[in-house]
Amino acid sequence: MNNNFDPAAHKMKSGLEVHHQILTEGKLFCRCPAGLYTNKHDAEILRHMRPTLSELGEYDGTALMEFKTKKEIIYLLDYDTVCTYEMDDTPPFPINQEAVDIAIEIALMLNCKIVSEIHIARKQYLDGSIPAGFQRTTIIGVDGWVPYKDRKIHIVQLALEEDACREISDIGHVVTFKTDRLSMPLIEVVTAPEMVTPNEVAEVGRIIGRLLRSTGKVRRGLGSVRQDVNVSIEGGTRVEIKGVPRIPLFPALVYNEAYRQHNLLKIKDFLTTTIGSIEDLKADEFDLQAIASKVSHRLIKKSIEKRDAKLRGVVFRNLKGLLRMTTQPGLTFAHELSERVRVIACLDQLPNLLHTEDVSVAGLEPKDQQLLAKAMNLNKNDTAIIAWGSEQDVKTAIQEIILRVQEAFGGVPNETRQAKSNGLTDFERILPGADRMYPDTDSPPTAITLERIEKIRAQLSRPPWELEKKYTELGIAKHQAEILALHPQRAVVEAVLAKNAIDPKLVVWTMIDLGKHLQRQEFPIQLLEASHWEKVFALIAEKKIYREGLDLLLTFVAAHPEEDPEDYLAAQNITPLLGDNLQKKIEKIAAPNRNLKLFDDSNWPKVLMGIVMGEIRGRAAGRDIWDIVKNQTR
Amino acid sequence: MTTEDLKGYRGAAKELLLRENARVWGDVTIATNQGEFKGLILPRSETADDQHIVLKLSTGYNVGLHVSTINKIEEIGYRKAHYKIPEKIFPPDPEKRNVTLLGTGGTIASRLDYRTGAVIPAFSPGELYGAVPELVDICNLKTYKLYGEFSENIGPAHWMGMAQRIAEEITAGADGIVIGHGTDTMHHSAAALTFMVQNTPVPVIIVGSQRSSDRPSSDAALNLINACYAAAYGEIAEVLVCMFGPTSDQYDLLHRGTRVRKMHSSYRSTFRTIGERPMARIAKEEYIPMRTPYRKRGGDASQMKIMPVFDERVSIVYYYPNMKPDIIDSLVDNGYKGIIIAGTGLGHVNKPLYPSLKKAYEAGVHIYMTVQTLWGYVQMFVYDTGRDIMDLGVVPLDNMLPEVAYVKLGWTLGQTQDRDEVKKIMTTPIADEITAREPIDGYLVMQGGLPEVDYYFKSYKR
Ligand SMILES: [Zn+2]
Repeated sequence: MNNNFDPAAHKMKSGLEVHHQILTEGKLFCRCPAGLYTNKHDAEILRHMRPTLSELGEYDGTALMEFKTKKEIIYLLDYDTVCTYEMDDTPPFPINQEAVDIAIEIALMLNCKIVSEIHIARKQYLDGSIPAGFQRTTIIGVDGWVPYKDRKIHIVQLALEEDACREISDIGHVVTFKTDRLSMPLIEVVTAPEMVTPNEVAEVGRIIGRLLRSTGKVRRGLGSVRQDVNVSIEGGTRVEIKGVPRIPLFPALVYNEAYRQHNLLKIKDFLTTTIGSIEDLKADEFDLQAIASKVSHRLIKKSIEKRDAKLRGVVFRNLKGLLRMTTQPGLTFAHELSERVRVIACLDQLPNLLHTEDVSVAGLEPKDQQLLAKAMNLNKNDTAIIAWGSEQDVKTAIQEIILRVQEAFGGVPNETRQAKSNGLTDFERILPGADRMYPDTDSPPTAITLERIEKIRAQLSRPPWELEKKYTELGIAKHQAEILALHPQRAVVEAVLAKNAIDPKLVVWTMIDLGKHLQRQEFPIQLLEASHWEKVFALIAEKKIYREGLDLLLTFVAAHPEEDPEDYLAAQNITPLLGDNLQKKIEKIAAPNRNLKLFDDSNWPKVLMGIVMGEIRGRAAGRDIWDIVKNQTR
Repeated sequence: MTTEDLKGYRGAAKELLLRENARVWGDVTIATNQGEFKGLILPRSETADDQHIVLKLSTGYNVGLHVSTINKIEEIGYRKAHYKIPEKIFPPDPEKRNVTLLGTGGTIASRLDYRTGAVIPAFSPGELYGAVPELVDICNLKTYKLYGEFSENIGPAHWMGMAQRIAEEITAGADGIVIGHGTDTMHHSAAALTFMVQNTPVPVIIVGSQRSSDRPSSDAALNLINACYAAAYGEIAEVLVCMFGPTSDQYDLLHRGTRVRKMHSSYRSTFRTIGERPMARIAKEEYIPMRTPYRKRGGDASQMKIMPVFDERVSIVYYYPNMKPDIIDSLVDNGYKGIIIAGTGLGHVNKPLYPSLKKAYEAGVHIYMTVQTLWGYVQMFVYDTGRDIMDLGVVPLDNMLPEVAYVKLGWTLGQTQDRDEVKKIMTTPIADEITAREPIDGYLVMQGGLPEVDYYFKSYKR
């Protein structure tokens, strides 16, 4: 964190929306397979999104913005992963009940109240990320909580919804999406804005993530989780940062957004003290076509010569200094303007604007400054911005710049922002209103019976933090307990531990440490099912295998899941050497080696140990072998 | 408590609301054995069960609560919603042509009632302008709501009403007619209007939408824009259907009313011209005729022939193997005067039907043969069976589509019952319901998985 700004001192509030794909065979509203990603496509279609009238007969802010951008939306379609439902050419099929069950389970884990009838809603998205223009979504539970420190963080709701497309590119007026992920079921967990420091947001994110993973019914891996973080400070506005893939990014993003809001409030003060209210704002727009050819700036010159770009400008009277005011760390208010122009006017070649306050090398040369000052009657207290591009785009750009400066009189605009990996954010879109939710007339309401809820509740596993506590009480190390609490086969472990036949540490070591070690060597240990693990632990309990032989055993089971591991032990001659048999075996191995010539006779036990281990590795505990070997005379 | 206060609630749910003194649009707190819920009580859909109360949560989501779980409902406020489509004054421009839009009930322009999910049709010029502002740049629009029917309820009475109204509007000087129509029976209406409104001097464009205009991805606006353009400026003065060409938002196709058919239950590009090319494609005010000849705009309005007649005693029999003769008998017994058979292959039915067909013929029933393959001609000379069936009095209708044949026979019987006269009208095409030849690209049903089709799909965004 780069300075002394303290978000908590500005009554920062932050909430989370966690989107996690769930593990179902099929998609949510059609019968396509879920979880298949592909890089091939067999067809493309082209669509546009039109804003629809809101209840009040007006187009809402986001809608209008998306329409201004007039994007051509291209969808790439793959034969294996999408059908005509995803294309929005077939109505939805009845909702996937497997997904509903998982959502109910997770809602119960989050202490939510489950609704007794689900109603599918349409949530409008005009950015093209969903071909229908809306996402089908439904509430499964409301009003839950997760424990955090000594308090509860409230869960506003748990929704079950279909996933959106993956954006491939967004260049100029064409945005391209892949559709393979579209319509995969995911759950959305919404917390109340009850986190008050950047670190708390990350910690609560981790708690929810662990809880979801502990069910074993959520997808893992890249892209399976996306989180939206909302932030507001006192006097600011709730701003949503969309699609944060990793929790470690949370604190920086939250901090920087709080800082940005703080600075936007300062800019608001600057505007009111400098010129007064929004009515006093003097923005003079100029068509600069007449002087365009005289501008010497390389980028403008090139655009005008090569692409017949038009040049326009706007002067804000008496607002010198505005564009250099800080917003996010290292960024100025000019960046806010540039972002709007990039998204809404589709001028995405940066820099997409230049202004008279930029004195850097990349900015306007004195010669250009003078030229523009004259063309726009610039006074010493004025500030001016120019943009260039196609006639329509550049008009939109200037409009948008004026709009954004007007919005600055209100402090923090209502918007969603995009997370960047450096912890800063870019403008994404105006925050959509509540009007974008409306009922899906294609889907009937579906009852969830009390019976069904109770059946799922009865099979609910305990939350991971309770399991961890239980495991550590059994003598399992904390870091292992944490892993075990989320392990898909933890039920097997619990059953084994309940029988009290094996040292808990050995059980956990086998499943977690050895398992992970072998997995790293690309043995598919993660594919072993409960029955395999039960067999392995039975063999350990019956002393048919030693710890030392477990790696061989596990790799065998992983490679031959259909075969009986006991046969393998016999065939491989790694059955344990018990009692006298071990002594006899070692003596037999030692006998022909007693006359080995050694440089130093005192090395004999170590040399013999090596020979013995080569022959009977895994058939007895190393310590027991050593005890016998060290007493073998020459 | 009024019925409005309990809108859509029946049985147990209604009793509960009465008992708890709660009403629709009440802002409530509901205590259930699952916990507490807060929201607005919504009207219940008439078709849903009587066991749930629907609540709109503050987040905009709706949920249902089972009556048996509800302990108590407390009303803490009341917020009734009123719906109205915004009206904007449609600015007239003397330079632009005049189009009359006749509404029959489709949801070409509509808006969703966000609280109940009901569709409110936008219809007046002001409403349409509010929903599709681009229309102003195309024409002066006059609108009349003729009917408010879902397309499955549209029938002969509506066709006749439409025909008369079209004639009135054209006589009054409209430069083009647009008819907003539900898509399910759009092709039936298109055929009917082709027969009932002949020699029109201006285009009559039938338009609808496969995705209603309350959806961002709707085809409604583009269809409406293109239909208005085709009506105002299009050269082809015939009854035409204007709907999406491909599923992509690229262009509309204009289909002749007698050769068009809805071919998919939900696709945007569901309307196809069968056995011929479409008449024109239209996109962004670019109007490209695709076949000639056609009736050109600008004919003499006095030459217009309006024939709003229809005899409803006509049926289509879709033949299937082992069909029993009593199917035909029961139509005759019930007084039907015309039967269109959609026969197999080149136009066949099985032998056991022959005596019944003969009986029907002798009873004065007019029987015509079409093909259920949709593409291709009836050809009853190839096999003996065909000749036998013709001997029974069944008349082949070449490549007339079964639905079109149904409409035409009803229309013909509305004019005459004379067997020869009926046959003459039925077999003499008015607007391509029978074509003399099938062009080489008249039959196009591509199959996926072939390299050439895959290439087309990947390259052309259709
Ligand atoms: Zn699908």
